[in-house]
Amino acid sequence: MLKMNNIRKVFRTEVVETHALRDFSLQVNEGEFVAVTGPSGSGKTTFLNIAGLLETITAGEYFLDGVDVKDLNDNQRSKLRNEKIGFIFQSFNLIPDLNLFDNVDVPLRYRSMNAKERKERIENALDIVGLANRMKHIPAQLSGGQQQRVAIARALAGSPRFLLADEPTGNLDSAMAESVMELLEDINSKGTTIIMVTHDPKLALRAPRSIAVKDGKVSEVSRVESPVEMPLHEPALA
Amino acid sequence: MEIKPILSALSRNKTGALLIALQIALTMTIIVNSVFMIQQRQGQMERESGIDEKNTFLFSYMGFADDFNEKTRIVEDLDYIRKMPGIVAAVQTNSAPLTGGGWSMGLARETGPDADGVGTAIYFVDEQGVDAFGVKLLAGRNFTADEIIWRERTSNDWPGQGVVTKALASDLFDGDWQAALGKTVYINETQPINIIGIVEKMQAPWNGWRGVERTLLVPNRTLFGGGRIMVRTEPGERDRLMKEVEEQLFANYKGRLIRNVRSMEEIRTESYQAHNGMNTILKVLIVCLTVVTALGIIGLASFSVNRRKKQIGTRRALGARKKDILRYFMLENFLITSVGVVVGAAMTIGLNMVLVDMLNLPKIDWYYIPAGMLLLWFIGQLAVFGPAKKACQISPALATRSV
Repeated sequence: MLKMNNIRKVFRTEVVETHALRDFSLQVNEGEFVAVTGPSGSGKTTFLNIAGLLETITAGEYFLDGVDVKDLNDNQRSKLRNEKIGFIFQSFNLIPDLNLFDNVDVPLRYRSMNAKERKERIENALDIVGLANRMKHIPAQLSGGQQQRVAIARALAGSPRFLLADEPTGNLDSAMAESVMELLEDINSKGTTIIMVTHDPKLALRAPRSIAVKDGKVSEVSRVESPVEMPLHEPALA
Repeated sequence: MEIKPILSALSRNKTGALLIALQIALTMTIIVNSVFMIQQRQGQMERESGIDEKNTFLFSYMGFADDFNEKTRIVEDLDYIRKMPGIVAAVQTNSAPLTGGGWSMGLARETGPDADGVGTAIYFVDEQGVDAFGVKLLAGRNFTADEIIWRERTSNDWPGQGVVTKALASDLFDGDWQAALGKTVYINETQPINIIGIVEKMQAPWNGWRGVERTLLVPNRTLFGGGRIMVRTEPGERDRLMKEVEEQLFANYKGRLIRNVRSMEEIRTESYQAHNGMNTILKVLIVCLTVVTALGIIGLASFSVNRRKKQIGTRRALGARKKDILRYFMLENFLITSVGVVVGAAMTIGLNMVLVDMLNLPKIDWYYIPAGMLLLWFIGQLAVFGPAKKACQISPALATRSV
């Protein structure tokens, strides 16, 4: 489903050349929930950007759902992003001036989809995340956890093959993080492939498969037959 | 189309958008009324005076010597000029079109103080008047030499014949200018003037007068101590003869001044100097306002793009193509401009009503309003294109960065 072979990504300025990914290879199959961990500057976000077609690669091969994305132009990449990928960002990236309905509508507007179908999808997506009754609210009227749920609804509304989550609980307290993780697990259980970038080892343990990135390379892959049920907050002392 | 979400977003950030809309409205109000005023003036400037401007010149004379005999001098000067090679005709007159100074009187079809009069300019001419001005006689006849009467400064008597312009004939006879020929009209309430001829067109001296097309020629030579002589030459001879006439008349008699020897083309230019000046000022104003408004739109759009970089990156990440981002900003500007031009249309009509009331200007033609709206829409779209293009270049990867 997602296949990267010997990906290299180099950022160049006039004075410096930064190798963000070096010979990065990874395959993610349909329905997987993969956690990508690593310290700051390890290349996690660059990997996510490349996986999500937000950035181009310098060398190597990348097949997304069987499509070689290396030679796609900007419009083709945008179309592929819109149809196959759902994004969940650390800081939610909701548009503050739009209400929840219009926020979830944003990616759908870039498809040739009629208003009726869009409305059904938006209502359904907001229903899944439990915010169907607040669709006229603006993001500032919601808690952080609720805003991230809206972002998830926005990602789900387009029925993507992939969900790419960039530190989805990074800006949330532990209780809210737990509910977001449960939601992601629920979505994954229904067949959506999820790749989640996180620096939190506890979160990574919730995923059946976890890869560690270091110095732009995959340094470790671990598989868990049955994921650990680990609460995100410390149990209270008796 | 994203009209609803754009309106929704604008309604939460009203101030900047409203200020730009107001600026657009003011710009439209001033630009449209200015263009209308320029067109009005341009139309006035392009009117034909009815005389042969290319081949005519005018000069003034003023006697000062003790032996200056005005009657003798006028007769001798005109005889001399008329015999010069290249001269078509010459006439002593009190004024000419576009000069800005002259006589006017009221003419009526009935006698008495209560008769409805029509204001008209009056030119004193002799039998060469029609030829010297180069006006076209449509009906009737010109004056004959024996009809010409010498007129003293204090005289209140009017000759019994007159030649009128078609416009004056039409105003006097309810639109039927041909009916005027042979009819008697009254000047000074009681003095009859028989209309013996009708000329196609000859403007009054005052270019801003509403009755500028109403003119009466009367067969008088004046003895006012000074006056003007209009000379018409063969084509191409004017400039040479302007010099020669001045030099020869001075050589013939040095007891009178000859001044202001000017071609009718020069007189036209001077006559409309104020119009030209005002038009230039209005054009500069239009350009300045357009530039300021365009800069305002560019400023707001650039600020908006900078403020929403992350949002644009997110939209790109969610599947927006570059052209979707371009369209978003162009559409947003179109909506702001639309508010501006709708308010501007109302303000334009309002300002025109004030100008009609205060400056006696005509009502603005309806098509100026949609033309102004289209112009402002175009300026808006042109101005926002740069910032919108810049917004397109924002990378979708910005969505995952902490900016």
